[in-house]
Amino acid sequence: MSWTSKHCLRLSPLMLPYLVLFCGGVFLTVCQSLGVLTPLPYEGGALDAYIKLMGDSAFFASFFFSLGVAAASAFFSVAVGTFLAYRVWQLPRQLATAALIYKIPLILPHISVAFVILVFWSSSGIVASMAHSLGLIQTLHQFPNVLYSGWGIGMVLAYTLKGIPFAMLLVMALLVRFDIRQIQTAAMLGASGLRIFFTIVLPRLAPAMHTGFIILFLYSFGAFDIPYILSESRPGMLSIHVYNLYFKHDLARRPEAMAILVIMFCFALVFIIVYSKIVNRLENGVRKL
Amino acid sequence: MTKKCIVLIAFLAVLFLPGPALAEKTKVSPLDIPFQKIVEQSRKTDVRWYMYGGWAHVNDWVDTYVAGEMKKQYNIDLIRVPMDAGVFINKLLNEKAAGKKTGTIDLLWINGENFKNAKEAGLLFGSFAQKLPNVIKYVDPQSMVHDFGYPVDGYEAPFGRAQFVFEYDAESVSAPPRTMEGLKEWILSNPGMFTYPQPPDFTGSAFIRQAFYAVTGGHEQYLSGWDPDLFAQKSPLLWDWLNKIEPFLWQKGQTYPKDSAFLDTLFSRGEVSFGMSYHPSHAQNKILEGSYLKSARTFVLEDGSIYNTHFTAIPFNAPNKAGAMILADFLISVEAQLSKYRPDKWGDFPALDLERLSQEQREKFQTVDLGPATLGSDILTPVAVPEIPSEYLEALEQGWKENVLDK
Repeated sequence: MSWTSKHCLRLSPLMLPYLVLFCGGVFLTVCQSLGVLTPLPYEGGALDAYIKLMGDSAFFASFFFSLGVAAASAFFSVAVGTFLAYRVWQLPRQLATAALIYKIPLILPHISVAFVILVFWSSSGIVASMAHSLGLIQTLHQFPNVLYSGWGIGMVLAYTLKGIPFAMLLVMALLVRFDIRQIQTAAMLGASGLRIFFTIVLPRLAPAMHTGFIILFLYSFGAFDIPYILSESRPGMLSIHVYNLYFKHDLARRPEAMAILVIMFCFALVFIIVYSKIVNRLENGVRKL
Repeated sequence: MTKKCIVLIAFLAVLFLPGPALAEKTKVSPLDIPFQKIVEQSRKTDVRWYMYGGWAHVNDWVDTYVAGEMKKQYNIDLIRVPMDAGVFINKLLNEKAAGKKTGTIDLLWINGENFKNAKEAGLLFGSFAQKLPNVIKYVDPQSMVHDFGYPVDGYEAPFGRAQFVFEYDAESVSAPPRTMEGLKEWILSNPGMFTYPQPPDFTGSAFIRQAFYAVTGGHEQYLSGWDPDLFAQKSPLLWDWLNKIEPFLWQKGQTYPKDSAFLDTLFSRGEVSFGMSYHPSHAQNKILEGSYLKSARTFVLEDGSIYNTHFTAIPFNAPNKAGAMILADFLISVEAQLSKYRPDKWGDFPALDLERLSQEQREKFQTVDLGPATLGSDILTPVAVPEIPSEYLEALEQGWKENVLDK
């Protein structure tokens, strides 16, 4: 038996579920988006669903809005997460153990985080009530409309809350192997704290930050649970739109729902490739420490 | 190594084995045997009823009263499985695509476009409703010819009736509007205090149908079936009406409540002045539950209020079709309908034809105290208008997205 087939056999417990479930699912999605293997016989051209979507300005509005929410959430998560991880790493040993509480949001399901945001930030929520009792606002109506601003702020808050500890976890893993003497040397040579952070620490953390960004970005781009609780009607998130098309509309519209999923999947692939290419090019240009 | 290969091949073989070939028992269809036989056949069996699970009081009623009676009268164990209709339709579609001949669902709570979807995709068992003794005895055959304009053909059996009502707080709104036009005027002079759930939510979608009837000259013109030209001609009137009120809605119409539960919350917190429901007793249930103020009341508009019938149906691959028929029959029995009508149980309106009952039975229905928030059939029946054919429903939901939401 050749080398490859031996390895294939060994990998089969991993590969089989992957091939059958994941590839099978993607295959079926692509088929249905083309009007093949749909629950009801589909009349019309194979690309009808895609053509319809490409001419639908509401689809693009929703697509770019989802992108914006995902980018903002991933950016804030990684930025805040990296900074906090660095500060936690600098803490004395006893305090660093206590700082483990940062991991708590990691075990909270997304849906509970969505409810936390809802309870705190709605116009009759906890923050508004506190501001009211502190005399900062006279009536509850004066409280800024966080959840229904048209900017997806509620969702960005929820994703960021959930994403920060994740980013911290990734960054921490690199920090524990960080050679503290580099920082000490820089400090002895008179570098400021900011300068140390940006020129010495940050470049070392970049791989974890990029990975974190990609994962968080793609997750919030396609996820359903937080938008289900916090999204607004317009512009709507893509995942909600797909859900409605799939579950709440006529079966004849199945290809449309599937076409959106295929477009989202292709976008995710393209995004990963382009992002890694850009990061590689940038890093090749930077002088390694 | 060869051994491993064999194991792998065997594993693959099991994986791709055509499932139904394993177990296929030939059984007489319950449609071909007398009902008494079906009763005997289904003793000591389980029946799994897949139904909407979002109402605690309805779940309680099914788990205690219905399950208790099924056990006592037929020795059947009823298992309620909460699931939205859209979800179980997809489950059945997948099972059909996979060739699974024996499924897990015995009975569905279904109607409208879900029924149409299911019947068109061949997910339903057959014409069983006319075999049920209680349907034969107590149901007006006319009331089960169409479901949202789609022919029923006995593929589902009626078990309840619903009608669209608005809800308000009698202490803060003294005189609720009486027509759709009056509602519009109220909205324009009370900005921010009205909204409706975002279609395709069930209740929000019913609201826009209601408005569609009212602003385009009544329901009669639509009942003869789907007419795209008529829709193209009439629907702009509705979009115009809805767009006119939009800036005066809750959150300036920038966003809509996602579903009717969200609207209930807004109404109960006083953020909006009106709630709405497709269930006339919804407000009373909410009062009993403690989430609405005791002064909550309901009203209907004179231009008409949509009603529909909800049904039960049996999937093509139900493991216990006989038991499912017993349950469907029990649900439309006089005793179950009466129990279901009580507001402390559920408050769901009977799908029976009261004219077909005995004097004594009829009086029992007439003396049920619906509670102060639920309107009696003396007010509901005169304004009741039938549901629109489901093609219109789909077109209205899509049109709402294009002409109101995304405009």
